[in-house]
Order: sequence, then C-alpha cells, then structure tokens
Amino acid sequence: MVIRKEKKSCGQVVEEWKEFVWNPRTHQFMGRTGTSWAFILLFYFIFYGFLTAMFTLTMWVMLQTVSDHTPKYQDRLATPGLMIRPKTENLDVIVNVSDTESWDQHVQKLNKFLEAYDDSVQAQKNDICRPGRYYEQPDNGVLNYPKRACQFNRTQLGDCSGIGDPTHYGYSTGQPCVFIKMNRVINFYAGANQSMNVTCAGKRDEDAENLGSFVMFPANGNIDLMYFPYYGKKFHVNYTQPLVAVKFLNVTPNVEVNVECRINAANIATDDERDKFAGRVAFRLRINKT
Amino acid sequence: MGLSSAKAAALLARDGPNALSPPKQTPEIVKFLKQMVGGFSILLWIGAILCWIAYGIQYSHDPSSSLDNVYLGVVLAVVVILTGMFAYYQEAKSTNIMATFSKMIPQQALVIRDAEKKTIPSEQLVVGDIVEIKGGDQIPADIRLLCSQGCKVDNSSLTGESEPQSRSCDCTHDNPLETKNIGFYSTTCLEGTATGMVINTGDRTVIGQIASLASGVGNEKTPIAIEIEHFVHIVAGVAVSLGITFFIIAVSMKYPVLDSIIFLIGIIVANVPEGLLATVTVSLSLTAKRMAKKNCLVKNLEAVETLGSTSIICSDKTGTLTQNRMTVAHLWFDNQIFMADTSEDHSNQTFDQSSGTWASLSRIITLCNRAEFKPGQESVPIMKKVVVGDASETALLKFSEVILGDVMEIRKRNRKIAEIPFNSTNKFQLSIHETDDPSDKRFLLVMKGAPERILEKCSSILINGQEQPLDDSTAEAFHTAYMELGGLGERVLGFCHLYLPADEFPETYSFDIDTMNFPTSNLCFVGLLSMIDPPRSTVPDAVTKCRSAGIKVIMVTGDHPITAKAIARSVGIISANSETVEDIAKRLNIAVEQVNKWDAKAAVVTGMELKDMNQEQLDEILANHSEIVFARTSPQQKLTIVEGCQRLGAVVAVTGDGVNDSPALKKADIGIAMGIAGSDAAKNAADMVLLDDNFASIVTGVEEGRLIFDNLKKTIAYTLTKNIAELCPFLIYITVGLPLPIGTITILFIDLGTDIIPSVALAYEKAESDIMNRKPRHKKKDRLVNTPLVFYSYLHIGLMQSLGAFVVYFTVYAQEGFRPSSLTGLRVEWENDNVNDLEDDYGQEWTRYQRQYLEWTGYTVFFVAIMVQQIADLIIRKTRRNSIFQQGLFRNKVIWVGIASQIIIALILSYGLGSVTALNFTMLRPQYWFVAVPYAVLIWVYDEVRKLLIRLYPGSWWDKNMYY
Repeated sequence: MVIRKEKKSCGQVVEEWKEFVWNPRTHQFMGRTGTSWAFILLFYFIFYGFLTAMFTLTMWVMLQTVSDHTPKYQDRLATPGLMIRPKTENLDVIVNVSDTESWDQHVQKLNKFLEAYDDSVQAQKNDICRPGRYYEQPDNGVLNYPKRACQFNRTQLGDCSGIGDPTHYGYSTGQPCVFIKMNRVINFYAGANQSMNVTCAGKRDEDAENLGSFVMFPANGNIDLMYFPYYGKKFHVNYTQPLVAVKFLNVTPNVEVNVECRINAANIATDDERDKFAGRVAFRLRINKT
Repeated sequence: MGLSSAKAAALLARDGPNALSPPKQTPEIVKFLKQMVGGFSILLWIGAILCWIAYGIQYSHDPSSSLDNVYLGVVLAVVVILTGMFAYYQEAKSTNIMATFSKMIPQQALVIRDAEKKTIPSEQLVVGDIVEIKGGDQIPADIRLLCSQGCKVDNSSLTGESEPQSRSCDCTHDNPLETKNIGFYSTTCLEGTATGMVINTGDRTVIGQIASLASGVGNEKTPIAIEIEHFVHIVAGVAVSLGITFFIIAVSMKYPVLDSIIFLIGIIVANVPEGLLATVTVSLSLTAKRMAKKNCLVKNLEAVETLGSTSIICSDKTGTLTQNRMTVAHLWFDNQIFMADTSEDHSNQTFDQSSGTWASLSRIITLCNRAEFKPGQESVPIMKKVVVGDASETALLKFSEVILGDVMEIRKRNRKIAEIPFNSTNKFQLSIHETDDPSDKRFLLVMKGAPERILEKCSSILINGQEQPLDDSTAEAFHTAYMELGGLGERVLGFCHLYLPADEFPETYSFDIDTMNFPTSNLCFVGLLSMIDPPRSTVPDAVTKCRSAGIKVIMVTGDHPITAKAIARSVGIISANSETVEDIAKRLNIAVEQVNKWDAKAAVVTGMELKDMNQEQLDEILANHSEIVFARTSPQQKLTIVEGCQRLGAVVAVTGDGVNDSPALKKADIGIAMGIAGSDAAKNAADMVLLDDNFASIVTGVEEGRLIFDNLKKTIAYTLTKNIAELCPFLIYITVGLPLPIGTITILFIDLGTDIIPSVALAYEKAESDIMNRKPRHKKKDRLVNTPLVFYSYLHIGLMQSLGAFVVYFTVYAQEGFRPSSLTGLRVEWENDNVNDLEDDYGQEWTRYQRQYLEWTGYTVFFVAIMVQQIADLIIRKTRRNSIFQQGLFRNKVIWVGIASQIIIALILSYGLGSVTALNFTMLRPQYWFVAVPYAVLIWVYDEVRKLLIRLYPGSWWDKNMYY
C-alpha cells in the first residue's frame, strides 16, 4: 500500500512559514503582494468608513426618538425600589462600638449624604410646599419649564439629623441610625394621593426579638406626598429625596439581625417575588460590643 | 469413498467452517464515543467544564451563589451529547441499510461421506470432501474436478469474464485461475454435472483471499471529511485564539479570574456553530435520499460528496457499461453486413428481411438452437424472459423470437429428428428436422459453429435465396466480413444448411448421430451472425457528460482487449476521432515501436503489459493518455491502477460487481457496487450501490455530489456569519464594559433554534449554473471553507449584523433611560447585586432586578436583530455568483419554510416563553422587531453589488477576494 500522508519535518514547516511571511520569488508578504495589500487595506478602509458612517447615522436617528426630558418607556419602573444609607458593600451595617474606625466610614458617608439636606441649603434652593398633596408643576405651555423642589430639612430627621450630635448618628453608642430612601421614578405619584409610611421589622421572629425597639424620623416613617412627582434630573435640579431615618435603640449586641423595611403605599406593591427590592429593603445589622 | 464423518469433524475443527470471515466491526460503543469527542465537541466539553469550574470558584467564595453556571454547563454537555447521538444515529441508519445486503442464504452441498451421498450445509465442508455439483448450483468451495460432463461455470464474479467457461478434469495451465480443472468457491455452475474434491475452504479459497485483500485495504478519509475537519480547525482556531487573547486581556484589565473564565466560556460558545455539524449531516442525508431515488444508494453519508469531486471513474465493463447479455449485433448474408438493433428492447430491427437468404438463415437460427424459455413467462417481455441455455444460444433465441414470433411453435412444426450438440472438438452444432412444408418431404440439415469450420464444410453459398457455387471471391468476401466483425470484438458464428435428397433419405430413414450416416460436407453456406454484450443505451450519453464535467472515464475489465476496445469505442470512452498507438501504426503502416507514444490520445493496456510496468510507467500512461482501457486485468492490477490514479492526486471512483473488484472498491475514494449483478463482497466493500446497475446513474450522482458541495458552502457561510454578531457583544462587554448585550443561553437558541431549519433549507437550493460543465474540484485548492468565505462571512456580513444588532440594543437601553454614552464602563455597577438604586440618565433609580430584566430585554432584541438579519443572510446565501433574481426568490420553497421557522421560533421565545426567567427572554415591543431591518436590507444590497461586480469582472481582484 502506498502511504499517501507524508509527515513534514519540523524544518520544512518553519521553511513554509518563512515563505508565507515573505516570499522572495513572488514578493509576497503574508500571501499577498504589495499592490494586493494596498488594495485590500484601501478596500477595508473605505468599507469600514462606510459602515461607521452608517452606524453613526442610524444611532443618530435612533437618539432623535429619545427625549431629554422623560424616558420613552418606564415599564420596568412601575414599583420603585428602596435603599438604605449608609451604603455598604453587602447591605450590612456593622458597628464595633469600641472600634471607632469601623463606623467612622459610615459616619463620613452620612455626613456627606446629608449635606444637601442642611436647612440652610434647603431654605436657599427649595420651596416650602403644602404638605399632604402632590407638588405638581405642569408645563403650562412652556416646554420643559424648570421645576421647583420642596424642602426636606435635615432637622426633620430629629435624633438622626446628626446636627451637634456627639454620638455620631448613634454609631458610637451602639444605637445607629439607618436612613431609608425610595428610588426616584419620573412622574410617579407615590401613594396614590393617600399618606404613606415606611415600617421596619425583623425578618424572622428571632430577628424581631433581637432588633429591640427603634424610633423613626419623621414620626411614623411618614413620607409626604409633596415630594412627588419627580420630574427628572435635568428639569428638577434641586430635587431633594425624602428620607426616613430609623434609630435602633437596643439591638441585641453581637448578633446579626436581619431587618426589613417596606413602604406602605396604596400603589406600591411590596410582594414581588423576583425583585427583592421592590418597595422594600432588607439589610443586616450587627452591633458588636465587648 | 469420501471422508469419514469423524475425519471430517476433525478437519472442520482444524480449519474452521467453510465460510468467509466477516470484516472486523468497530464496537458500537467506540463509534458512539468517537461522535462524542469529534468536531467541536471537545471545545464544548471544555466550555462545560469551565462552567463547572467557575461555579466551583463561586461556591468556594459564597455557597449560596446562583446555579446559573452549572445549568449552562449542563446545557452545553447536553448539546454535545445530543448532537453526538444524532450523528451516531445517522451513521447507524446508513450502516443498517447494508446489513440487509450482507445476509447470505445458507448454501447446501451434496457431499459423499462415509460412502454415501449426503446434503449438508456448505459451511461444514472440509478439505478432501468429495462434492457433486450440477447446473444451477453455486460451487461450495474451491474444488478440483475429478470428472465432469459438459460442465460450464460462470466465473464472472471472480475474473469478470462474462462468457461461461467449460470445465474438465484435465490440468491445462499451471495458474490455478486459468486451468480448467478447478472450480472456484461462490462461482456458479451453469450446466452439466461434475464431481470434485475440495482443496480449499473458507478464507483460504481464492475468493477468500481476495476478500481478505479487500479488508487489508485501509479506508481513506473522504474528501468531505477532510474539508469538514479543515473547517473545524479554522473555527476552533479562531475560538481558542480569541478566547485565550481575551482571557489574557481580561486578566490584565484586572478582572477577577472568575469573570475571565466566564468571558472565555462566552467566547467559545459564541464561536462554535453548535448546530452546524448536525446540519451538515442532515443535508448529506437529504442528498443521499435524493440519490437513492435516482438509484444511487449511499452507504456512507460522506460518500455523497465524494462522487461530486470525483475526477477519474474506473469502470468495469460487463454489466456496468454493457447490458451483461449476449445480443446479436451484426448479420452477414448476401455479401452484405447488416446491423441489428442492440438496444435494451430490440424493438427496432431495420435490416432487410425480404431476401430469401434471410428466410433460410432465420430458419437455421431458430432450429439449430437448444435454448428454451422457461415456462410460465407469457406476460414477460421477450428480452426479460429467463432462458435455459448458454449465452449465445439465448441471444439467438431472443433474436429470432423478436423477429419471427413464437419460436417454440416453429420448432414444433419442424420436428427435430436428430441432433449433435456443440462440443469443443467439433466446434459445430447440428440438427436434422422435418420441414413444415407438407409438399416437401426432404429433411433439412442445419448447422452452426465457428465460421471457418462451417465454411470448410460448404461447397456452395446462398446469395439472394439462390444457391451458388462457393468460389474464391465469395470466400474472400466471407473472410473480410469475418475479420471485420471479429475486429469489432464480437463473437461470430457461421450458419449453413442442406436439404437432404428425398430419395436417399426417405421419411423412414433412421439417423444415427454416432456413425454420422448423413452428409456433413458440401453444405450450403448461408450467413454469419455476430454477437456482443452490447453497451447500455444510456451509457454513451453518460460518458459524454462525464467528459464535459472533466471526469476521465477509464475502463478496467477482465475481458479481451479487442472486445474491450470495441465497447470503449461504442460508448465513447475512446472517442470517435482518437487513436491508440496501434491504430496510428496501422494507419501510417509502420511498426508500433516507431510511433511516438504521446501522439496517441487513447491507450489500450493489457494485464500482461501492466505486469511488466513499474510505477513510473503506469503513472506516465495514466497522466498522458486521456482515454484508457485496461483489458485482461487481475484484481490485484485493478488495485494498482486505482492507486496509480490516486498518486496523480485524483479522486477515484471505481465501479464493480464481482468479488474480484472488492479490493479496488475499497481502495477507491468511492467504491460503487452494482445492486443487481453485484456480489455481496462488492456491496460490502463499496460506499455506494447502484440499484439499477446503470453507469448513467453515476452521472446523476456526480451532479448531486457537486451540488451538495456548493450548498454546504452556502450553509457554512450562512452559519458562520452570525458568529461575529454573537462574539462582538462579548468582546465589547469585556473591553468597553457595557451591560452584556447577549447571553450564552440566547446564543444557543440561535445556533440550535432559529438557524437550524434555514441552514438545512440551503441544501435544497438548485445549482446556479450547469455544474456538469466545470472541472471537478481540486482537492487541495477548492476548499469547502476558503479564505474569502471566512473573511466575507466574518468581516463583511458578520460585522454588518453586529452593527445592526448593536443599534437595536442601544435603542432599547436609550428608550428605557440609559443612553449609549452612560453605558460604557457601567458593567461593574450594573451587575452588582447590592446596588439597588443605580441612577440612569434621567435621575431615576433602578433596582438590580429591574436592570436585570432590561438586560434580558437587551438579549432578546439582540437575538431578534440577529434573526432578522439572518433572514437577509439566508436569502443572499442562495447564490454565490448569480443575482438572487436570476436564481428566483421563490424557487426553493424550503427556504421560506426556514424563514417562517425562524420567525415563529423567535415569536414563541419572546411572547410564549417570555415569562420563563431561566431562558432570559422577555416580551418585546413590536417595533423592536423592525429596528434591524435597514441593516438586513443593507446586507442584501451589498451582496447583490458584490455578485454584480463578480459577474462583471471575472478574474479581477474583486473576484479573487470576494468569491467564496
């Protein structure tokens, strides 16, 4: 039988490669002559230039369909989510009372976060609105008329306002404040014209026990209707998001407590199985005391 | 007499049963496992394992992490196993067709043992057994004849000779294949009886040796297998190098290793066309089915394409090119040669039948003939009736039946009084009849035989019905005619008669054939009749087609060179105006040695000449003559010829029916066995079986094979295109940090969902031009997947698809609140489960799940965008050179079934399964289905421009770089 497959020696393979990279007989570099390379590069230059132009054009046309003012669709944001401050890596607030450093970062973050809520800033930028009703600002014929925001003063947060507070929002004494905020959604009339509030509880029975008592600011965790609707960051420049502060007074130390806060509002469902943050927020709280 | 049972049993135990050992089978499990690791499977296994490793890493960090990666790994593994099982099933199915062929009917043998006659299964024969055979039996082993009465055997399955061979008990030749006293296993005894001693059994018989020669020939990889391997290498090479490059990039961009592994999985899955190999198998089997309808049964799926790339066909003569039955071809009487109709049904006998000589000749043909139709065949057409008798008598019987009508009735009217049957010493056959003329009381003596013998016995000749003395000029005319007919490779018979004078031979005269009390000389010569195994009527046309398709047809036969050459000429294997060396010598009247060998286009090479040649000489002949006939070749030589052709780089198809052909069939790139006349050994060794034994069917096979090659190219180009659109998202995701545009599972839904039926549909595409007018493809140059194909699919159409899909992706995100500018670099925040207030461009805040859902919507639109553009891709892939409008947009209905399937699957995935979170599909707004349409149109227009330029400037730079 004739063996048809000939194994190439290593040297031959190298030779073949060399010849492929530069073939001195045909003056071919990588299988193409200079002219051929010039042609192909020119072709791809023009072709890709054309494609880039085409892409840019279609993107531009597409962006014309999007307004600066409001998003075209908001179907995903029917239920606003809830979040906590201080913002931590894994949604857990861990306080080692004796270890200043462990909570100092939280305090720094909160200080910064609450700066915008200083009464002076609010008084300067925002209006005093009538509580208990939506602060609607129709365009009244003027396209995208800039919108005013309602005041939310830091002092409304009472013991959690941190103003002249030697306990640093309670972190140094093991009675930390956690701030709850609701996600902004444009043109969303939260509460459907009825009052709403935030409530917190331990997730399970033992959590409830360990959680102990807490106080909320504003009282009852109320969120006023006047902070709604939100008109978007471009036209609602100084919008101040309402907050609810929760001060945990006697959490059982050295135990991880699962806390869940939810908003009680007529038009916000808090039982979405897939979205664990729809109208609620769960976080872990741990006070370490020696 | 004979062996004792005990001795026979001992010998049986020593030598084993008298049967051919079946060829070795690969165990089923090995076949199955091969499918599991072949092709892309390895890459996908790596993907699956990487998934599990990724989960392992995740688990070690956080035991509660999601099982997504495990699922993905399982899905990949299932994909591999399913496609493997599918391929295995396909292969098993085509093997099963053949299993039915290999079933042999158990043979019985009449053997003398313990001094009594016994019938035993021929498997139990041993060396030394005495067996008796009679006409119609298959010879049960190699036997040496001890005595024989008029025994004739058909050795055609062994040597390819179509004429019956007489057998006697004298050793006439040293070569066992040539000597007359050996009967071979599996050949048939046609007539007579014989007793013989078994000299070889089972695998040691001549046929057994040939069969083992066949199994010793390794199977070459089919051209399409090589092409697919080449293609898998390209794609796997791209996948692995891109994967590794981006793994390194990802790691050096400070991505965690876990993320980098997940990127790697994504890149592999996007790059591997999971469904393609299954699609190729389906396309091939569709073609195989189509070919089976045209009487080409394909055993090995890949052989479908091999036939298309065939550049040399080595064809057997008997049965393939010819009808495998002796037929009257020419007649000579009244000093004139007449031609008889040799077509399959004989219907058109146009020669002059008015002459008195013809009346006499036809009477001799009818009467001096022992052949008879088997009874009970009244409704069968004459040419298909079964006849008892040898080949030439059968030919004469059918010839006269067609022309004269009921022969048996004529014979009845002319009662036979006495008869001397043909034997090899007399070389004539004689019979004496009463005539059917009641007024004529003379007896008629009719005789036929070897022409020169008949002429010797004659003193007069019948011309135009008148008896004339036989002079030198008429004898000369006879010789010219005899030589001419003989030169056509035909077997010539002479016919003469004599009316016995009534006074010498009264009605009561008793004829004695032993003493020959009647005259056998001074007869009246009537005419000559020549017979040949004529070519099938469809063959010349098929040979012409092969030639215009650039396929060289070589005849390889065991028959005589003269016959072989005559047939070769009549079917066009040697074309009308080409000459052999011998022809030139004859024309120029010089010695054969003086002729310049290369002036001759044609060559006739005999086995004897071939034996003295070395490899180079054979290669020279094969390379330099375009029309070659090999005559008198042995099975071994057939193999040598095939190998010679393969050395020239040709893809060789070999046809054959006998056991002697099986080694060559196996060695050939594609072996084609005859379905009707073919022996089981031939069918087993072949890749394809011609159900109607017709050479012309091969041509249809070639056409289908070429078409499927073109169409597979289209299928692969179609399938490869979207790889880029699946891959780009990952590359952009890694480098730019966009939220992931398309998920791994979604990619699988394209590869194994929407794309499957359309890519199979391309197998139904009609040829763009006459594919039978171009050269067979060059094995090394015309690749299935060539550079232009890869570049055009990846860097042109694929890129356009990616752009189109990205436009839709950006549209969805922008309309929901995330503009393209803010998406870049968003990946880390976007995927952080603890960021539930991610701000968009309008100041709104998103929870993780809300973003996740948007991401899935992104997957879905990306999927839909690819699907929409794949419709355009499918349409443009219908042709490679012609405009779609030349080809006809609606001619291939299956394409539209494919397009409908794409749309329906996408609709079901989006609207039906949009709520099943594991699949990551969401319900889309209707308008998103149309965003990519401009790009689909662009793809179509661009490809039309490409084809237009190719047609306008053939051979140009554009043609070379853009035609795949």
